[in-house]
Parts: sequence; structure tokens; C-alpha cells
Amino acid sequence: MFGKKSLTELISQLKSDPNVTHWHEIEEQPASIVPYPKNMDNRIKTALGKREIHGLYTHQSSAFEAVLNNENIVAVTPTASGKTFCYNLPVIQRHINRPNSRALYIFPTKALAQDQKSEINEFIDDMDVNINSYTYDGDTPANIRQVVRKAGHIVITNPDMLHSSVLPHHTKWISLFENLETVVIDELHTYRGVFGSHVANVIRRLKRICKYYGSNPTFICTSATIANPLELTEELIGEKARLIDNNGAPKGKKHFVLYNPPIVNKQLNVRKSSTKVVNEIAATFLKEKIQTIVFSRSRVSVEIILSHLQELVKKDLNRKSIRGYRGGYLPNQRREIERNLRNGETIGVVSTNALELGVDIGQLQVCVMNGYPGSIASSWQQAGRAGRRMDESIVIMVANSNPLDQYLFQHPEFFFEGSPETARLNKDNLIILVDHLKCAAYELPFERGETFDGTEIEEILYYLAEERVLHEQRNKWYWMNDAFPAHNISLRSAAQENVIIIDQSHVEKHRVIGEMDTFSAMTLLHDEAIYLHEGVQYQVEYLDWDEKKAYVREVDVEYFTDANLAVQLKVLDIDKEKQLGTSLLEYGDMMVTAMATIFKKLKLETFENIGSGPIHLPEQELHTNGIALSFSSDEITNMREDVVEQMLMGLAHVLQHVACVRVMCDKNDLHAVPEVKAIHSEKPTVFLYDRYPGGIGLSDTVYKQIDVILHDAIDFIDRCTCSEGCPSCIGIAGAYSDFEREVSVKKIILSSLNSIIKHKATTL
Amino acid sequence: MNIKTKLNRMKGHLQLDKGLKETKFSNQQQAPEVEETVADDELTLKWSQLGFKPYVYEDQLSYEKRYTVPFDRMGKTNLQKELFEVKELWKKSDLDHPLSSKEVPLNRMLFFDTETTGLSSGAGNSIFLIGYARIVEEGVEITQHILKDPSSEAAFLYRFLLDFQEDDYLVSYNGKAFDWPQVKTRHTFVRNQVPRLPSFGHIDLLHAARRLWKHELPSCRLSIVEKEKLGINRGLDTPGSMAPILYFDYIHDKDPNHLKGIIEHNDQDVRSLVSLYVILTKRLFFSEGVKMSTMEHVQIGNWFEQTKAINMAKDHYIKAIDNGGNGREEAYFKLAVLEKKDNNVMVAKELFLKCISVGTLPKIEAMIELAKIAEHHEKDLEAAYEISRKAMGNLKKSARLTASSKRIVQDVEKRLLRLEKKMMK
Repeated sequence: MFGKKSLTELISQLKSDPNVTHWHEIEEQPASIVPYPKNMDNRIKTALGKREIHGLYTHQSSAFEAVLNNENIVAVTPTASGKTFCYNLPVIQRHINRPNSRALYIFPTKALAQDQKSEINEFIDDMDVNINSYTYDGDTPANIRQVVRKAGHIVITNPDMLHSSVLPHHTKWISLFENLETVVIDELHTYRGVFGSHVANVIRRLKRICKYYGSNPTFICTSATIANPLELTEELIGEKARLIDNNGAPKGKKHFVLYNPPIVNKQLNVRKSSTKVVNEIAATFLKEKIQTIVFSRSRVSVEIILSHLQELVKKDLNRKSIRGYRGGYLPNQRREIERNLRNGETIGVVSTNALELGVDIGQLQVCVMNGYPGSIASSWQQAGRAGRRMDESIVIMVANSNPLDQYLFQHPEFFFEGSPETARLNKDNLIILVDHLKCAAYELPFERGETFDGTEIEEILYYLAEERVLHEQRNKWYWMNDAFPAHNISLRSAAQENVIIIDQSHVEKHRVIGEMDTFSAMTLLHDEAIYLHEGVQYQVEYLDWDEKKAYVREVDVEYFTDANLAVQLKVLDIDKEKQLGTSLLEYGDMMVTAMATIFKKLKLETFENIGSGPIHLPEQELHTNGIALSFSSDEITNMREDVVEQMLMGLAHVLQHVACVRVMCDKNDLHAVPEVKAIHSEKPTVFLYDRYPGGIGLSDTVYKQIDVILHDAIDFIDRCTCSEGCPSCIGIAGAYSDFEREVSVKKIILSSLNSIIKHKATTL
Repeated sequence: MNIKTKLNRMKGHLQLDKGLKETKFSNQQQAPEVEETVADDELTLKWSQLGFKPYVYEDQLSYEKRYTVPFDRMGKTNLQKELFEVKELWKKSDLDHPLSSKEVPLNRMLFFDTETTGLSSGAGNSIFLIGYARIVEEGVEITQHILKDPSSEAAFLYRFLLDFQEDDYLVSYNGKAFDWPQVKTRHTFVRNQVPRLPSFGHIDLLHAARRLWKHELPSCRLSIVEKEKLGINRGLDTPGSMAPILYFDYIHDKDPNHLKGIIEHNDQDVRSLVSLYVILTKRLFFSEGVKMSTMEHVQIGNWFEQTKAINMAKDHYIKAIDNGGNGREEAYFKLAVLEKKDNNVMVAKELFLKCISVGTLPKIEAMIELAKIAEHHEKDLEAAYEISRKAMGNLKKSARLTASSKRIVQDVEKRLLRLEKKMMK
């Protein structure tokens, strides 16, 4: 009781904090319950009755009826709304109707699969039915595997396992595939981008195998809130589906607070470190023994916050009561933490997004986020960790200085007025498609005229036959290679190699402090670069490009480095284009070549050039999709070249950030490059391209949504409090178009964007 | 060699086959794919030069070679006699042993090996060559089936299954983990076109070889076992690892000569299995004329112990002790434990003492056993204490403690404490 009172007090105390920029209250909502569906077996009702459940939430009931009607569904419901019943109940009912029927559950991670197994097993135990449910993952012992294959009515696995173990060995799974009636795909929204594109192909393979064995399963998907759950579902499973979003679960009152740390450097618009602020806020709650979860984006920052919090509260509580939770912890340790959270022994947990997915950790009262988690969907999932069971709860998001966070804090409506994010995948990305065609051919020969779940593939099959990977015989393509293709294809990290950053300041204790994608590493982690990490300066002593490791040492110098990356974009093929006033927007195939050339050392206060050096790194090549926005208005063509350059740089900066929010991707997935004179058009151009070979559909979405994105960009710059541009908005401070310092680049960018929009308005 | 005569002989088969094919196609409305037929004829001719005959099943072809090697040409003197000897040994014994062929007539044993297009065990890995040896009156009959091309799998497996009977018994090398599951996988694909796959008995000689020789040989690969234990040197053998590439070349060029080497390799494999089965059995039963190392006796003893053939185990341990050398210490210990179980405590004590005396470092487990005997059977607490203390001293000398040795240390500590208490009384 004491704790509760204290939470209310702390909430009102926080209300008067000047750094709170937005306070949003989500009112409580009563449950909406309907009677059991008519065709539900009595044993299920009895088992539910034992749990004091005497009806279904509206969405659970809709799901049940749709699935038994053989419709594919996607249920979109918030955390703790009983979504597991959306699939467990129909699956059990189907088993009762036909005891031989099988179901396959696909969870994005092993931990979730374990969790689900215990949940469904508990429920089955309460009923008098003979349903065997097993997890099947890398940890499953060999002797159990045989049992699972033969006798598992419900097989719970992850996409990686399906890809590399189940499908390639389908002959050992005959009883599953012959009787497969239901496929459950949980946490659907995680299947986007490269990962999603891979998984969509795994599903194509799954359906192909099912067809071979004569089954035609129904898909049940569940998703966190995204803009296009139905579209994503239909893309992923390649079939029509029904959206179920009539959530009937009750909700407790929730406060959602945006907290922007105070500005500490006015000129550069730099704010107090969000990590420090998070520490302070979390500590105030933890001191009152209020269960709190802290989310932070990187593993490193989790550890930093954890050690701070343990320090802060060491007098009040024992250290074990505050725990870290991230990938890299052993499964047993994770299970223990989850258990302690549920039973209240642990009152504080600091986590990466590892806890964002539906692992059951019971009820927490406070959620503090260190920075915007990267997507609205993640934000809501993390927020859902607080107040799962109808109590009052509070969610506090603390902004970083970076443009994305600042942008979102200017636009709280993004969070509270529906979700603008769209999850994309591109299952016909040629590289991914070919990879999975190989796997599919390994599993089962292709027949002439056969499509890959609707996609024409004959040309690729001919190509693979020419390469002597396949062999054509009597109108069939057979796998003719001694390799096991699935082993060389990873669903998660394909071609996305990262450079590991190793701090060797302390000879006895080298430690990994972070990682970076190879493209960025060329300019930020080259030899002698000054690398900033958590506000600390490091110098790169050696970049081992082959091993993808950068060795850094802590330094204290008064300069930073700025590397010149010669990026060239060649437009290979234009697929679509549209005229926006005097500007032209094109979309198509592009070849990006990047080479780091030299770096400059710039003095911190004055930006004075105090030295330079060469960078010796190989050229990187990327074949992808992208858009080009080129300008040909007189206003711009008459400007001095260096002004045009600055303007394009600023524009690229803004568009990249705004577009990333719209298309729901990480900043590293969608890159922006300005070119004063683009090769293909000879005009000043800003390019945005997918940072993955072959493209994953991001720039395509940007093309389609360009109007909103341009509006967003204008709005973003407009709302920034700086007068002449700052690192948070256009990425550069104090740039002007003339020596009299009258017209700032910020203004030019605004006016050029406005002219596009305006023209658009008049033509419409 | 007279190729012409050979070709002439083959011709008959070709025509016969063609005839079959034509009747088959004539039943169908559609004309057959002419080109393919011509190509098949050419291919069949080439295969016949390697001794393979074509067989038609439904609209598919399979190639098969079958010939008998007289016993005296098997590279092992007295093979026939030895085989009967081995047969008799199992017949007479009532051991329930993995190598036993008691219930199996000699001519029902199938010494079996396959060649595949890869080492993975998934659905895309094909078997392209199945070979097996059978003991017949005149010698060893060797049969090899070739997968003509990936679209002829039904014919390939059909011919193979046709040759099989329910009471056949497979003898293989790693067949339980690899070859047979692979046959099952391939069978799944054509299960509607071919007979059911019977469930055979199966003896896997790799398991036996590992039991006997894993400490002795650098690896238990068949080629190494052949060289070290059968005295077979393959010389210019095509290694099995080349099989996939060679088969792809064959598929691409339609030239069976690519596979010549791998066919010979498979042929040698199944022949070796016959000899290997003979020498393994003879080792189990101390047959005359078989020289065995002390370690082999110890290992076989172990194996018999696990299969509950205690007397056979004891015999091998005794033989190991007689032989002397490396392995003797273990044999003393194992034998002692068995004697103790049989309540021959004093015999056991002698053996434990011997065990300690032959080792460079006395075996701790033996010392503990001696302490137990002193404490519980002889009621000599001081002797028990003394030997436990020695054991402790030796344990402390050994620098690295593994998890299991840590447990032993705890055990000994407990024993010492208990003995101290008892002695105080």
C-alpha cells in the first residue's frame, strides 16, 4: 500500500518538472466480454472456468470463429490483452475436432518459444485432451527431436530453425506436414526489412512442402500496433487474411510522459545526457521500491545504467534486486531474472529490446526509456511492460540529443494519434529470393511451370542450372550440389557485417564498447580517427578491416576528425518518376560506390583545420534501389556551388531522418547522399537508397509517400528552436548563402521544400 | 580385351530393353520423347562397357551390375572357411550381442554401403550408388545399383528393393547414422511408386570398430581400419569424398567413366565389410590364430560387461592380464570389480592390489575400493584409514582437478572423517 501511494505522489511531483514536454493520459477501459462461441468444446470452457474466465474478450472470440472458418487472421492487440488465446483456443479446438491435426508455432526468439510452451502445457493439463506440445530449437536434445517429429501435435520453433533444420529435413517430419492445419506466427511486426524478407521466403518454402504432403494450413498471426498489419501479413504469408483488432481487454490508467533533458550547450543545441537523466528518474522510483523497467538501446548502455543504478540504491536495497537483461546472458540466467521479476524479488530491470517481446515478467509499474527505441511499435511494446494488469502506471521516455528523438518530441501526436509506421519487406529481393530458391530446390525439385508461391522463377532456375547448382532433367530442376544451402544463409544478419569497436585503454582488460556498420566505419573508425562514444573521446589505433575490428584507446584531445567519403551514385535503371514542380523524383536501380579518401583534424571550438591524413580502405560497392530528388529551379541553379552543396547536405540529413520514421527502419538501413551534379541528370540531387544489396523496399515506400515525408521535413525544420540551423535539424550550424550572413541555409532548404509542396498543391 | 565381343554380348540387353520400352510407350497415346530415348541408348551402351545392365521400371531406367567373386579371389585366405566358423560361433553362443548374427542365415546378410551427392542428411542429398555383398555358394556376390539421373529415382530404389527380403540383415559401416536414414529419406520421395521399405536388422561395424580401436587408431575411418587391421592397402583409390563432384560430372557429361573410380571404391568397401565382420567376431571369441592386443581385450571385456555377458568379459580381462603391457592395470581393476560383485572379496582384494602395483601412479579408484574392503569386510579401520590417506596424498599430487576428480576428493575426505570418528569410539 505504501508503494502505491508513493507512485501517485511521484507522478504529481513529476508533473511539475519543467523538462516534461508532453503529458499524455490514457484512460482506463473496461473489459468487453462476449459469451463463448457456440462451436467451442465444453472441455475448453471448463478449463477456462478453472481460471475464473467465463467468456472471451471480443477479439479472442472473433479470432476463434474466423480460424474455425478456415480464414487466415492477424490479431492486432496491445500487450497483456490475452492474445495467446487467439491462437491456443482455436488450435486446441481443431485438435478436438480432428485428433490427428498438427500446429506449428513460430516465435522470433527461443525465449518466447519456451515461455509459450509452459503456458499452453499448463492449459492442456487442465483439460482432458491428449495434446503433445514441444519446443524444437537448437537446444533440443537429439533423442527428444525424434519424439517431437513423430508425435508433436504442437511444435514450437523459430524461423531460423524452420529454415535450417525442419524444412531441409522434411522427410523426417511427414506426420507434421501431412496433418498441418494451423501455422501460428507471433510478433508478426518483427518480420520486416531484411529479416522479414527472408522469413517470407521461408514461409513460401513451408507452403510448398505442405502442398507436397497435401496439407493447406491456416495462418494465425499476431502483431503489435503498426500501420499496415494486414498488408504485412498478406505479404508474409502470401495469402488473404482477416484483420482482428476489436480489442476487448481492459486497460488500466496510464501516464505517458515525454521528458526532454535540459540544453547544456546552447550553440550546438546539445542536451544533458539522456543516460544520466534516466539514471536519476529510475532511481527515484526504485528508492520507493516501485517495480521499474528501464529500456536502453545498446548492450553497453544497459550495463552503464545498471552499474549506476546499483550504485545509487546500494544503501536501500541489495544489489540483486536490480538486474540487467540483454542478449548475451545465458538462458538460465534470463529465466531466473524473469521469475524474480514475477515474484517481486527483483524490483528493477535494465534491458535492451530483448524484453520488448512477450516474455512474461508480470506487472511493473514504471517504464523508463533511454531514447526513442527506433520505432513507434517498439515504443508501445516497451510501454506495455508497465501496468499490464489494470493498475495505474507511468511510462517516461527520455530524449537523446539526436535529430530523430528531437523530431519525435516535437511531434508527440506520432505516439498518441494512431501509428504512422509501415512495416515493409521485399520477398522478391533477388539475392534473398535466389538464396531461398536454392534451399527450396534442395528440399524438393522444381517442376517446369511451377511458381514460387506465385512468383515466376523459371529464369532463375535456368541460371542456377547454368551455374551447375541445379540440373534440369525431364522438365524438373534437381539440386545437384554437395552443399547444404540453408547453412550458408542466415536469416538475420545477411551481408550486414559490422565492425566491432574494442577499447584497449586498459591493457589488462580489453572490452568491446560498440559496433558499427561497415559503411559508416570507413569514415568514423579509420586509423587515427577520433571516435566519440558516450561522450568520451577515443582514438582509433588500428582498424583491422579484414577481421572487422577497430582498436581504440581513450584520449583527451581538442580536435575531432572529419573524413571525406567519396560516394558515387550511378543510376542504372529508372523504374518510375514523377514531376514535383520544377523538381523531379525518380525511383530505380542504383549502384553505390563509396571510398574513404582523406580525413581532416578540426579544432573543437573553431572548426579550424589543423591537419589531415590519407585513409587506405578498399572501395565498397552496393547494388540497390533508391530514389533521386533533383532540383532544376532557377533559384537553386543560380546559387553558388558551395551553397548548393550545403543546402543539399542539410536536406539529405533531414530527409533521411524523417523518412526513417515514416518507413519504420533504422537509420543505418536507409542512407542519404547529396550530389551537386548527379551523373545521370547533371542536376543538384539528393539520393536516398536502401542499405542492403538488392533493396528491401524502403526507398520504394519513400517514393510512394514522398508528399507526407516532405511535409514532415518542413515541419521538422520549422519547429526546431535554433535560428540558423543546428546539428539536430539540418545537421550543420550557422551556414549562410552569402557573405552578409542574411539568408541562412536553413531558410533556403525550407523555401525549396515549400516550393515543391506548393507546386504539388496547385497541380492537384 | 576384345571389346567387340563384349559389345556384342551387351547388344542383346540393349535390344531387349528397347523392346520393353517400346511396348511400354506404345500403350500410351503420346509419342515418347525421341531424343531422350536415343540418348538413353547411348548412355546404356556406355554403362554396359562398365558392366552395368539397364532395367526399366515404369518409364524410368536403372543400371545394375551383379557378379560373383570366388572366395579365393577375395584377398583373404580361407575366407569361406572363416565365414562358416564365424557363423558357427554365433550359432553356438547365446549372447545377446550387437554383432550377433545367430538368427541370420549367412546368405541373408547384406554387407551394404552407399555413395551420395553430399554429406548432409537433408532432403536434397541423393544416393546415386547402392552397393552390397552377399555370401553365396561360389563366393561373394556383389551388386551395385546406379541412379541413372535424378529423375529416375523410383526405378533405382525399385530395383534395389526388389532384391531385398524381409529377413535380410544389413551389415554396414556407419549405416545406422548415415546410409540407412538417407535411404529412408529417398524412399519418402517415391513411396507411392515403390514397395514399402522393410525394417531390417542392422549391424553397424563402425560402432564395433570404435569400441575396439578408438584408443589405438588415429581415426576409425574404414580406410584406416582396413589398412591397420585387415592389411588392405587401397593404393590409387578414389576417395569417397570425391563422390559428389564425380557424379555431377557424370550428370553433366553423361559419361559413366567419371564414376569408374567411385564404383571400384564402393566395391572395395563392401568387400572389406565382409572381412571386417569376420575378424571382429573372431576377436570376440578368442578364435585361434588371431593375435590381439591387451587393449583390445580390455575394450571387448568392457563391451561384454555392458551387454551383461559377465563371463565373457572376465575371460577377456584375464587374457589381457596374461598378455601384459598397456591396459593391464585397467584389466586388473575391471576384473576385481566384477569379482567383488560376485562376492569373491578376497580375490577382488588381490586383484586391486595387483592393479595398484602395476601402474606408475597407483589407481585412486582401486585404493578407494581397497579402503572399502578393509572397512566393511575386514573391519580393519586402521588399514582403511591408512590407504585412504595415501589415496588423498596421491590425489593432491595430481595438479589439475576435473569435476569428477573433485567429487572423488570429497568422497575420500568424507571417508577419512568417518573413519576417524569410528576409530575414536
